[in-house]
Amino acid sequence: MLFPKEMSEVELIVPSKDLVAVTKALSGYGVFHQVDSAHLGQQEGLGQNSWQEKAGALSAMERRIQAIMQNVGLPEDRPAKAGIESVVDLEAIQPSVNRIEAEVKETSDQLSAERKRLELLESQLHQLEPIADVKVEVGALRKSSYMHSILGVIPAANISRLRTSLLRVPHVFFVLREDAQKPVVWILGPKSNSDVLERAAKSAYLNPLGLPDEFSGTPEQITAMLRRDIESSRQKISSLEADLVKFGNTYKAELQKLLWDVHTSRVMADAIVRFGQLRHTYVVVGWVPTADLPDLTARLKEASREILIETMRTSRSGHHSNVPVALTENKWLKPIQMLVGTYGHPSYGELDPTLLMAFTFPLLYGAMFGDLGQGIVLFILGILMHNKIIMKGMQSLGLLIAYCGASAAVFGYLYGSIFGFEGHLVEEYLHFHFEPTWISPMENILSILSIAIDAGIIILLFAFLLGMVNNIRGRDWAHLLFGHTGITAFVFYICFLAMLGGFLGDTALAPRVAVAINSLPLPFTTLLAVFGLAVMFGGFLRNMVEGHTLIEGRGVGGFMMFLIQSLMDLIETVISMLSNTLSFIRVGAFAVAHGGLSLAIFSLAGHEPDLGFWITIVIGNLFIIGFEGLIVGIQTMRLHYYEILGKFFHGGGMQFEPLKLTPSKEEASS
Amino acid sequence: MASGVSGYAAISTRVRAMYSDLLTPQEITRLSDSPDFASLVSALKNTPYGKHISGLKDTDLTPRRVILQVRQRLADSYSSVVQQAPEQTRPLIKQMYRYFEVGNLKAVLRSIQTVSSWNSDVAAWDRVREVLFPFGSFASIPAQAMVDSGNIASAVDLLKGTPYEATMSFAMKRFSTEQNLFPLEVALDLAYWRGLWGEIKNLTGRDREMGAKLVGSLLDLNNLMWVIRYKIYHKLSEEELINYTLPFGYRVKDEDVRAIAAGSDIAAVVSRIYPGIADVNALLERPQSGLPKLEHQLKQQVMKQCVSAFIGYPFHIGLPLAYLILSDFEVQDLVVLIEAKSSKLKDEDFRPLLLKTSMIQ
Repeated sequence: MLFPKEMSEVELIVPSKDLVAVTKALSGYGVFHQVDSAHLGQQEGLGQNSWQEKAGALSAMERRIQAIMQNVGLPEDRPAKAGIESVVDLEAIQPSVNRIEAEVKETSDQLSAERKRLELLESQLHQLEPIADVKVEVGALRKSSYMHSILGVIPAANISRLRTSLLRVPHVFFVLREDAQKPVVWILGPKSNSDVLERAAKSAYLNPLGLPDEFSGTPEQITAMLRRDIESSRQKISSLEADLVKFGNTYKAELQKLLWDVHTSRVMADAIVRFGQLRHTYVVVGWVPTADLPDLTARLKEASREILIETMRTSRSGHHSNVPVALTENKWLKPIQMLVGTYGHPSYGELDPTLLMAFTFPLLYGAMFGDLGQGIVLFILGILMHNKIIMKGMQSLGLLIAYCGASAAVFGYLYGSIFGFEGHLVEEYLHFHFEPTWISPMENILSILSIAIDAGIIILLFAFLLGMVNNIRGRDWAHLLFGHTGITAFVFYICFLAMLGGFLGDTALAPRVAVAINSLPLPFTTLLAVFGLAVMFGGFLRNMVEGHTLIEGRGVGGFMMFLIQSLMDLIETVISMLSNTLSFIRVGAFAVAHGGLSLAIFSLAGHEPDLGFWITIVIGNLFIIGFEGLIVGIQTMRLHYYEILGKFFHGGGMQFEPLKLTPSKEEASS
Repeated sequence: MASGVSGYAAISTRVRAMYSDLLTPQEITRLSDSPDFASLVSALKNTPYGKHISGLKDTDLTPRRVILQVRQRLADSYSSVVQQAPEQTRPLIKQMYRYFEVGNLKAVLRSIQTVSSWNSDVAAWDRVREVLFPFGSFASIPAQAMVDSGNIASAVDLLKGTPYEATMSFAMKRFSTEQNLFPLEVALDLAYWRGLWGEIKNLTGRDREMGAKLVGSLLDLNNLMWVIRYKIYHKLSEEELINYTLPFGYRVKDEDVRAIAAGSDIAAVVSRIYPGIADVNALLERPQSGLPKLEHQLKQQVMKQCVSAFIGYPFHIGLPLAYLILSDFEVQDLVVLIEAKSSKLKDEDFRPLLLKTSMIQ
């Protein structure tokens, strides 16, 4: 749960005779992420291209069958009895496919030729319709001695630009047909400007009408002739389509079986192409979630008695950019996974921050929006959304709102706040006793701010530690020692907190954690100086550990520039540590602001508990839930993305994409 | 306002976080100081691009592969922004992202046109795929099938059902008579920017205002460079210049484009629109070297607009748009650096081409 699923690398040595059965087992259950191992095979003399050729031939055959099915209007459904027998013998099915194709082809070719003819006729009719009532010989337009005429279709978006481009040329411009797809325009100008008109028309992508020279007479006469041809063409098409439907009914079962056999064979052949071929065996490499390994191993042994299976659990330590990452699926954590996912996909070995965020997100939200009544309203709203009773399609968000609402209700109980009523107001208006069980933010402003910073410091220290855990697991020693979230930075942060504790001393705002650290008998000033230097020259020290060029970009600006850059790194680190720490003050500030906003509502409502008072309180509460609830959500997200996740989470993992013959595991086993 | 806040809460936070991950001018300078390509790649591994590059094996560390990985980060940013953007703004972001697909489409068409001159030992697709932007699941063009088809007409036939079908059906008539990709590429560019501007017009309020400002600035840059290049290099006529440009933008107005098309002094028009750009006359005197410099300065103007979007009220589409534009410019800088270091160019030859300088903070 804390980490992506543990993966095992699987290497198989498969006897040639069991190749297909093993491939079937591997591709049928959706747990095997294949790695291309073709390079592990021997290079010559084994006919290694035969599977590649077979995969190509199967793919071509699959396309042919699909084309036939498309022609006869059959959907590409699975046959009633869809099993995975073996890789089909193309030569065996070739005669069946050829026979059906030949029968269908003649009709289908006639149909497609007739459709093209119909399209042409309709296009010609479409072009002529806008000028159907113009009593002019079409041929005369082409043969005018003084006027240059262009009649054609143009992209609708280009019409106004074409008009603009002709502003300085005498012309007449008609849009004969307003059509979003293919408007027809007619430009007429003096013959002396024909070159300008042609250039403008061409650059506006105006395509002159393609009426054949044999068309003569007025547009009305031509359109009447075209309509007759179109009618006869449509009848011919209907008859050909009926013939194809008959073919479809006759060959439905046969075609569906052929397609299924060829499709599964093609998927298996594609997989085999990426196996390494030896003289009598094949080498197969891939990744399987360790938990699924026993099941897969049993199936593989069932498929081949002589198969050699070597599995290696992949430790999560070290750098494993090549290991696919499969995350644990848990419907209760889905909204949190969604939040993490927008930041990045965890890499293998890296801590999956979902569980941590599942704890801190509602916690920080509740601390900022602590109100028993409003929290319960949010909780109910979230449950209704999650169960698709309202706002369907937002189930995940509903669950997140429910978590945050529950946390807000708990903090409301601790703060003694219910629908904005606090302290004596509860007794006065709601007639029951409700005291803060922990602290009232409005009455202890500095204390709640200090507690917020304390909580922030603890979360940041924890995030630093998680960052170090990730570095250790990734064996990234340079960053573990001298990275921005490494040991040096961590100790420097501790010293920095001690200084902060010492500086704020016994003031009410002083974070207790910082004061406690300062009280430890350690020479923090000296440590701060030493680790400050280590932070300052972190880049240099990291390069030293990793064996890289010590100073990047050396020679530019000389040693002084390097010193200045290092000093700037130190200043940046100090500023970021201070801002990261103080950033959590917003948690306390929002808890106080929540009380303040409620007071503002009470000021508007007045003192008398009449109808107006209660209406104002209800509207005010709805406003707080909607407006403040949203702002607090943004702040919580901000704290996680900026201050917490960045300390230890990098993302960038490769997704687990298992080999699948069928869409799901369930289907495969059915 | 409430709808703006609710719609943009998550994306504004995320974009601000991603914005803080963009390289600073100082980091770009540090990368430029790398003595060679290997050091540059090593330095890049310590930047947010590291996780994209570290997956490459040593044998794959070629400039093209590294550029592909750098671009992959931009593709990831687009995917992330598209997924989180409010519903009504997604068509705009998706259309903006299509810029890279239009680039891919042009590259595919060019490859088909020139494939006969290539060494036949390497399959055409294997050569082409390396230079394509990693568009991922958003891709609508069947690039490989187009390359494999071997001729422009068959390749364009494969665009049926894609957003490019209508544009290409008009432009293909010209290609079939001229046998030149110029009309196809111009038609694609114009359709792309018209589509983008149309998406902005579909927005309302502050989204529309910020969209027009940022996308309009980009459009200004393109429109202005088109009209100047077509005029100087292609010697096109006034009516062609007008038809090959667009009548909208942020600062560049239709009157400006038409004035240049009609023969007005280009430098005077550019100086009037961008008083901050010095010595336009001198730049245009030697267009071969001057026009890239002018384009460089115009891009920096766009960057300034983008940086300013992060100041003030944050709940609008301006932040994601500005971030994506800045990311694209950053990638352009990195491509310059990778190509410069792998070709061992001198500092003075590539440093002036970098966009992110201390001027842009």
